[in-house]
Amino acid sequence: MTKPVELPQGTLEMLILKAISLGSLHGYGILLRIQQISGERLEILQGSFYTAIYRLEHRGWIQGEWGESENNRRARFYSLTSAGARQLKTETAKWIDMTAVVAGILDKKADKI
Amino acid sequence: MSRLGQIRKLWRFIAPRTQGDVEEEFRSTLDNYQEDLIRQGLSEEEARRKARIDLGQPAAQNETYREAIGLRLFDEFGGDIRYGLRALHRSPGFATVAILSLALGIGATTAMFSLIYAVLLHPFPYDGADRIMNPVFINQQHPEEYQYFTRSKAQMDDLRRAAPVESVLGFSGSHMEITSGGLPEDIYGAYLTENAETFLEVRPLLGRNIEPSDAENGGHSVVVLNYRFWHRHFGADPHIIGRTLEIDHTPYIIIGVMPRSFAFNDINGVGDVYLPASLMRGVANGPAPSYIPWIKLRPHVTVEAANAALEPIVLEGKKQPSGASAWHLALQPIIEPYQQDLGRTFTLLLAGVVLLLIIGCANCSILLLARGRARLHELAIRTAIGASRWRIVRQLLVEALVISCAGAALGVAASYWIARLPLLISPDSFPAESVIRINASVLAFSVALALLCGIFFGLAPALRLSRNDPSRALPGRQAGSVAAPARHRWSVLIAAQVALTLLLMATAGTAIRGFLRLTQMPLGYDPANVMQLGISLHAHDPAEWSRIQSREARTAYIEQIRDKIASVPGVSTVAVGIDATPPDADAQTSFIVDGSGDGEQPQARVMLVDRRYFGALRIPQLEGRLWNADENNRGDFIAVVNHAFATRYLSSSNALGRHLRIPGLTASSRNQAVSAQSTAWRQIIGVVGDARNDGVDQPVVPAIYIPYTASMRAWVQFLVRTESNPFTSLHSIRAAIASVSSDQQISNSASAFNGTFTLSQAIERDAQYSRQRLFSILFGVFSAMALALALVGIFSVVAYSVAQRTTEFGIRLALGAPRAHVLWVAVRIVLVSAAAGIVLGLAVDSFLGSLLAHWMQNAFAVGSLFTAAALLALSALLACLLPARRAVAVPPAQALRYE
Repeated sequence: MTKPVELPQGTLEMLILKAISLGSLHGYGILLRIQQISGERLEILQGSFYTAIYRLEHRGWIQGEWGESENNRRARFYSLTSAGARQLKTETAKWIDMTAVVAGILDKKADKI
Repeated sequence: MSRLGQIRKLWRFIAPRTQGDVEEEFRSTLDNYQEDLIRQGLSEEEARRKARIDLGQPAAQNETYREAIGLRLFDEFGGDIRYGLRALHRSPGFATVAILSLALGIGATTAMFSLIYAVLLHPFPYDGADRIMNPVFINQQHPEEYQYFTRSKAQMDDLRRAAPVESVLGFSGSHMEITSGGLPEDIYGAYLTENAETFLEVRPLLGRNIEPSDAENGGHSVVVLNYRFWHRHFGADPHIIGRTLEIDHTPYIIIGVMPRSFAFNDINGVGDVYLPASLMRGVANGPAPSYIPWIKLRPHVTVEAANAALEPIVLEGKKQPSGASAWHLALQPIIEPYQQDLGRTFTLLLAGVVLLLIIGCANCSILLLARGRARLHELAIRTAIGASRWRIVRQLLVEALVISCAGAALGVAASYWIARLPLLISPDSFPAESVIRINASVLAFSVALALLCGIFFGLAPALRLSRNDPSRALPGRQAGSVAAPARHRWSVLIAAQVALTLLLMATAGTAIRGFLRLTQMPLGYDPANVMQLGISLHAHDPAEWSRIQSREARTAYIEQIRDKIASVPGVSTVAVGIDATPPDADAQTSFIVDGSGDGEQPQARVMLVDRRYFGALRIPQLEGRLWNADENNRGDFIAVVNHAFATRYLSSSNALGRHLRIPGLTASSRNQAVSAQSTAWRQIIGVVGDARNDGVDQPVVPAIYIPYTASMRAWVQFLVRTESNPFTSLHSIRAAIASVSSDQQISNSASAFNGTFTLSQAIERDAQYSRQRLFSILFGVFSAMALALALVGIFSVVAYSVAQRTTEFGIRLALGAPRAHVLWVAVRIVLVSAAAGIVLGLAVDSFLGSLLAHWMQNAFAVGSLFTAAALLALSALLACLLPARRAVAVPPAQALRYE
């Protein structure tokens, strides 16, 4: 089994936006999808999951609507708003930039400086 | 949308999802997870448990939601508020006293604010009221004596064309009679130029205001009604528009009713009806009608600039004396006549209520500190389980705010009535149009005040109580057998409170003493059961007027009415006077006395009266005689003077037989009729006692009494002395007057100018009298409240400390301390603080005394200061001893049982 990864602060919201961008989902679905994409390597802090959902909705990045789940239960489905899509784009770009810079620094060998 | 709906919408905006919604969603996630766990092989019970451990309880989810959307602080405050409310509910005595203390202060302060707002800041309903100016003439010699002036239509047009002027309203007041219906009724009408609607911009309650089209064809016969008149005369009939009102035998169509706040008033009184100015016709051969102008300046034009620009226009053609007595134009904001007097009154009253508020706040602080000592244990536990100091300060502050807001709510409700008090006590000192209402500004003011007070009185106790070491407070709940730590803070508060109370009491004492002196001052006449009846002669009705226009006919007419009134049962004396009703009288006039140099310009009041005047007012006759009926009808060659006149101008010789003449006694207006030799020499035939003629509080001015027939106007007043309350005879008197001339009615208005009122009412209306009365009543009330607050403060501090130190007192008694000593220990600190407060108050008072005396226009009475101090000391002692008795009433055995 691979080692679980701990998420840095603030990245959970980005992952939720990403998960929803692939198609609207209810809360538990989002959880499952993130775990599934990460190859079960992400152990999401359960307590902070809904806090993040609420915050995203309150900021208007995602939008919740009641509907029927696959097993015919009432569930609240979230979809990305246009503001949320923009946010995901900038966050992703920022993240890639940042990791590239950090990775670049960490990769440096002494003789290359 | 309903108010409730708006609130709900706002709430949806803050927190869009309901608790049920959040919980349902969470529950569905929980169920999904639980099913997955069961699929993985867990038993149902285990899955349920694990799901809740991993994800949390649905019941707690709403809290997570609210925290996520940033409502945590809000929820915590809500909790603090609920806790504060519960704490108040648990100690109702404390809550009542604290809330009432503040309600008094906040109520009085809010009332004063709404009064100032209504009277000084926004007294007029007119559009751009701060740009509306009353133009007056002033000269440098007497800048405080300004003169109103009138303009003809053409002159107003000149003004209107000037650059700084936006528009000009002209008006002119006149006594009129309603001639439709049974008995004629005297009313006061104001002619307004037809731009009234656009100039004043007050939306009528019903119908419309006077419009420019009303000037067409020499003026439409239309009338707009004043709100009070509409109530009085038409019983507030909503279908009045279009009906006809007959005024001076001419029918007018009623086109509008003005709202309550509109009480347009010229200098002499509030108009009952408003008419288009074009209807005001000049009398044949007389001057064209003229109006008093109101000038509305353009925005951002300064008064100085406007004065400079308009002065040449206004002064054109006016004969100008040179030098310091030259006339200049001064534009007065229309509030100014009120502001001059009221500014000072309000400053004093505001100072009074602020003191009251501070005393109330101090009281709350004292109560919180005293009660806080009992809460040290609770606060220590909070600190011990991790509350930060900030958190505790916050909670204590929120509790203080709960008290102050409750106090403010009560206070604002009360202020609605309190604010009316000054208007009731002294109605004539305020603009007729100021309506006291609780509006947004007043509410904002009181909310701000409540928050400020809450922080003001809550902060000191909160800081004090939160600085408390749990390790010391927690071990036991004994606190009592050890001497309590010093309570500097509330002893300082008590001293300050007592000092401020003394200040208020001394002020009240001064005011009351001044007022009593005023009421006991000899008037020189007897106002009891004397009534003034003003009548206007029919100058508007050409047919009637021609009958009584001549001096002889007018005299006969007046004498005939006088005789009729005198024959009414219950009437004992009837006198005639023209603007000679005490305590005021017409302006001073120059006269010449025989043997005096030419350079002198002595001044005296000329009182136009008949020979019965002195009897009716019971003014004593000191020397010589009064004139007889023939001399009365002739009007010339004789005069009677008052004692002040004799001593001031005739001191060198016997007054009787000297001569004087009054050059100014000529006809100056077309309705005036003077006697043949009115300006000739008059022999002084008698001297009478001094009767107040310059206001109740001012020394009597030299006065010359001459027969009223020497100079008659279009109005006259009868002074009627009756055997009992004059108003009970009013109806029969009206009938008596109507029997002489069916159209002749007395003035209904209460205006000092020509109204109907008793002489006692005239005294009450006197500016100085009503101000003094206002001060003494209000400051009396303020100081009584302050005293009550201070005593409650002292009482509760002693009561709390005695309750907490029961054990200590028990030990002292058990060890043989005398009761008196224990009593002394119980009250020592409070008593010393109170004594210090009294000494401080005495010091402050003697420092402020002269200042206060100047502001109240009243001598500061040292006697009343010491009376107040003694009263305060005595009641403070009582407030200490009453609760302290419990300290010595505790049986030692019972007190020790707790040890």
